[in-house]
Amino acid sequence: MPFATPLALLGLLFVPAVVAMYLLKLRRTETIVPSTLLWQRLAADVEANAPWQKLRRSLLFLLQLLLVAILAFLAARPFVERPAGLARDLVVIVDTSASMAATDVAPDRLAAAKQAAIDALKDLPSGGKVSVIEAGRTARIVATGTSDISRVRQAIQSIKPTVSRGDLGDALALAQQLAIQSGDAEVLVATDAALAVPPTTKVDAPIRVLRVGDLKGSRNQAIVALAVRRAPSGITNSVFVSVANLDLETATRRVEVWGDDRLLETRTVTIDPQARSDVVVDNVGDADHPVSILEIRLVAGDATDTTARPDLLATDDRAWAVIPPARTRAILIVGEGDPYLETALSYLPNTSLFGTTPEAYPHDVIRPDGTSWDLIIFEGNVPATLPTTPILAIAPPASSGLGEVVGTLKNPGIATLGTDEPILRYVDLSTTHIAEAKQLTLPAWARAVIPGPKGAPLLYSGVRAGLPAAVLAFEPRQSDLPLQVAFPILLANLTGELLGGSAAPTSAVKPGDPVALSVPTGAGGLHVVAPDGRAVDLTPGAGGGPSVTYTQTDQLGVYVATPIALPAPSGSGGPSRAPSAAPSGATPSASGGPSPTAAATGGVGPGADPMAPIRFAVDLFDVDESAIAPGSNRVLEDLGKTQPAAGASGAPGASGGAPAPGANVDPAASRPNARDELWVPIVLIVLVGLCFEWALYHRDAVLRAWRGLTGRLRRSQRSGT
Amino acid sequence: MTLPQTPAPAERPTAKDGRPVFLPSDVDPTVFDEAFLRQLERLLLLMRAPVRGGLKGGRRSVKRGQSVEFADYREYALGDDLRQLDWNVLARLEKLFVKLFIEEEDVTITFLLDGSASMASGRPDKLQFAKRAAAALGYIGLASEDKVAVSVLGGRTARRRTQLRGSGRVFRLLSDLSSIAAADGPTDLVAAARHAAAQLTGRGVVVLISDLLDPAADRVIRELASTRSELIVLHVLSPDELDPPLEGDLRLVDVETGASIDVTADLATIDAYRERLAAWKESFAQLAAKRQATYVDLSTEVPLNELIFAELRRRRVLG
Repeated sequence: MPFATPLALLGLLFVPAVVAMYLLKLRRTETIVPSTLLWQRLAADVEANAPWQKLRRSLLFLLQLLLVAILAFLAARPFVERPAGLARDLVVIVDTSASMAATDVAPDRLAAAKQAAIDALKDLPSGGKVSVIEAGRTARIVATGTSDISRVRQAIQSIKPTVSRGDLGDALALAQQLAIQSGDAEVLVATDAALAVPPTTKVDAPIRVLRVGDLKGSRNQAIVALAVRRAPSGITNSVFVSVANLDLETATRRVEVWGDDRLLETRTVTIDPQARSDVVVDNVGDADHPVSILEIRLVAGDATDTTARPDLLATDDRAWAVIPPARTRAILIVGEGDPYLETALSYLPNTSLFGTTPEAYPHDVIRPDGTSWDLIIFEGNVPATLPTTPILAIAPPASSGLGEVVGTLKNPGIATLGTDEPILRYVDLSTTHIAEAKQLTLPAWARAVIPGPKGAPLLYSGVRAGLPAAVLAFEPRQSDLPLQVAFPILLANLTGELLGGSAAPTSAVKPGDPVALSVPTGAGGLHVVAPDGRAVDLTPGAGGGPSVTYTQTDQLGVYVATPIALPAPSGSGGPSRAPSAAPSGATPSASGGPSPTAAATGGVGPGADPMAPIRFAVDLFDVDESAIAPGSNRVLEDLGKTQPAAGASGAPGASGGAPAPGANVDPAASRPNARDELWVPIVLIVLVGLCFEWALYHRDAVLRAWRGLTGRLRRSQRSGT
Repeated sequence: MTLPQTPAPAERPTAKDGRPVFLPSDVDPTVFDEAFLRQLERLLLLMRAPVRGGLKGGRRSVKRGQSVEFADYREYALGDDLRQLDWNVLARLEKLFVKLFIEEEDVTITFLLDGSASMASGRPDKLQFAKRAAAALGYIGLASEDKVAVSVLGGRTARRRTQLRGSGRVFRLLSDLSSIAAADGPTDLVAAARHAAAQLTGRGVVVLISDLLDPAADRVIRELASTRSELIVLHVLSPDELDPPLEGDLRLVDVETGASIDVTADLATIDAYRERLAAWKESFAQLAAKRQATYVDLSTEVPLNELIFAELRRRRVLG
């Protein structure tokens, strides 16, 4: 039998040491007894007067000799050889995408995949090298070309699950880079093969798939969309939830709507196989009970069973959204003053109206408190430089960034209105007459809300340069609209969209996506706390702008970024963020709030308290990743090089000669054998031997205890009788 | 039988605090209380055969005497006491018969206490146990009008204390016992017993209280049994000797001789020791039976009242 470390057999030299210890006379403990009379004959056989006593037959002695020999044998690491089943250079890819958290195999697919990868290492040839790649949202190498199998095992065990979409393409590309450096490489992919994005990267090495997961394990329902819209009133919110059933059977689930950890609403949905069901919940939160963080939970359909898992993947059963706090929006009217307009706007909730003339406008572009306006209405005028705020232009006199004015329309009629236009909801314009309107050309960024004659829109709206903007082609007083009920409704809907009330559905941050967060004026950085409480302080670089990028969005939930206040400068009366300190050209978003990405997820908008915490939610919302049914191995295996037929590699050629130099030699032929070290059975033998030796050594104590126990029982029985 | 009288103050040995040295006991003060003494007075040290004693006592004698227990009739002879005539028989048969009664005489009870160094070992202390047993049995003897003597076997001699008689001398007895201490050096039990046997006078009872841890202990029994006195052997061993709590590789040192012996005290050795101990005691029991002696093996764990009122009565030593 071969040994990995034959020098360790020198440990057999300890055998004479054990023998010598038995030969040496024992140092005995002196004990005073009344008389040695009764001990004399008993002690005769153990007495020895010489310093060396006679070696006696002892089971304990033989056992110890045997244990020393076995331990030396173990240290020499005996092994048996067998043909290796893997290439000399192995790349192990472990899929850590969200679907690997499915629990159709215990405890989950990732644990099973890691175990399968570790088990597969047994077939590694002697001296083989292993690289380990963690395939999450991006590929990450956790071990590179090491032949230390224990380190490889440790690296595989250290891989943690992620909640993001996996990308095996990156990992395969990385594996390709590692494989081309070797003449005998193989890629081992431990995955459920439920690929959100089927990779296309070709690898110049055979790919073997260690598929985990139950082929029937597709029982999963997921929240795939969540949007919160502010109602046109601007007070309450409407919640839109889309739930997908990725299973092959109809499923009944409950959708729980939680607001700030309070259960607000529960809906039961029954979803057909491979279909979606949408849930809309209106009137979420109001002025008395505002809701800042909304959480949607998908739970089991049976309300009485609170412990049952609704499906195999829990990651996609929860989603979060952040609702910006309701606040008073400031609207500035730049114009000569239109009592109809002002009256209608004054009925809007949570708004404050301000007015100025076109001449005084440039001085009033910044509010006295330093914040920017939520909406500026240009009534019959347009400044040369458009402000970076939402804009409503009424009858613009000339062409500008808001649109091109090509003429004037007399008594324009209203064309057919769109039925699903949110701005025209509850608005009846059938009896509206317009005396005069500007003839405008519809810009590319806008949609026609009220189409007019000859394609000239009478009202259009859209998002211009990242900010909502709308243009009304006529002055209200040039029509009978202000005298109709439709006028305040139209204005409410229009300002609602411009103020962000009914903007496009919020798009959540994807796990792993970086988030750009603006650092407010007067703050030295941001203190970002993840859903699990992990906190990190972000400070903008010396040459960087007033924003920081947060990249650790690897957990689902709500993140809170709190501005870190700068220490007060000496001599000043306290923290200063006076409007005068800010440059006049400073953009509103630079004064506080996250970037558009974070703002879209519910961060504070322009004009809010710049030092208020910024919240944003990270959600999975990935139907492909929620489809957890294991896929086919072929998708991945076909990307690799075809493996030579078994047995062909080792067999000598039909011609009987050696392969010619330069011929395409199968690397498996020169592959060393795999080694199976026999330490497990040896350690078991040693353990059993040690237990036996312990029992033998302490047999007296065990017997004494047994006799004491039985004696006590006998005495108690006797006293009982 | 009369209750023990309170001795004169001068006669009672006292400790520094005025408390009697031996009564009540330092070890167990309740042992020798008044109630215990009253119970002891109801007991009698039994003998295998009536004895011829000296003074009139409470024990049956081979002589006919004047007790209340009728023994026999015989014809009147000149000189007989007329008060012993059976007038009923004379009236019926017109012949003179004299009633004979059993004479009650005293005997000497000699306690031979092994005072060797081995007796001072063990827990509870064997010598202490022996002294307490001797005290209790001695009081029984004094209460039954017998003479009580105490001899201590130590070295090669027996030191005999003054012979006592009468229950009033109980404090002297206790004082004598209290003053006994174990010998320092080795003890030749045979020589000491032989010395004690030479000091015996007349017939009586010899109570040997010893651990018999002497290679020639059987000769001690033979020597004492060959005297005219009845022999009672109280073989006292401590629990440590009956079931040694030893374990491991030991060097056992004899407390008397200082001789040592190496032993590996595993369970097999302890079991062999127990077997040997049992055989050793059995040999004493057989020898005692052969020599018309009484052999009682005791553990110092046995409480004194249990020893007196249960163990020794069961072994027909007390009645």
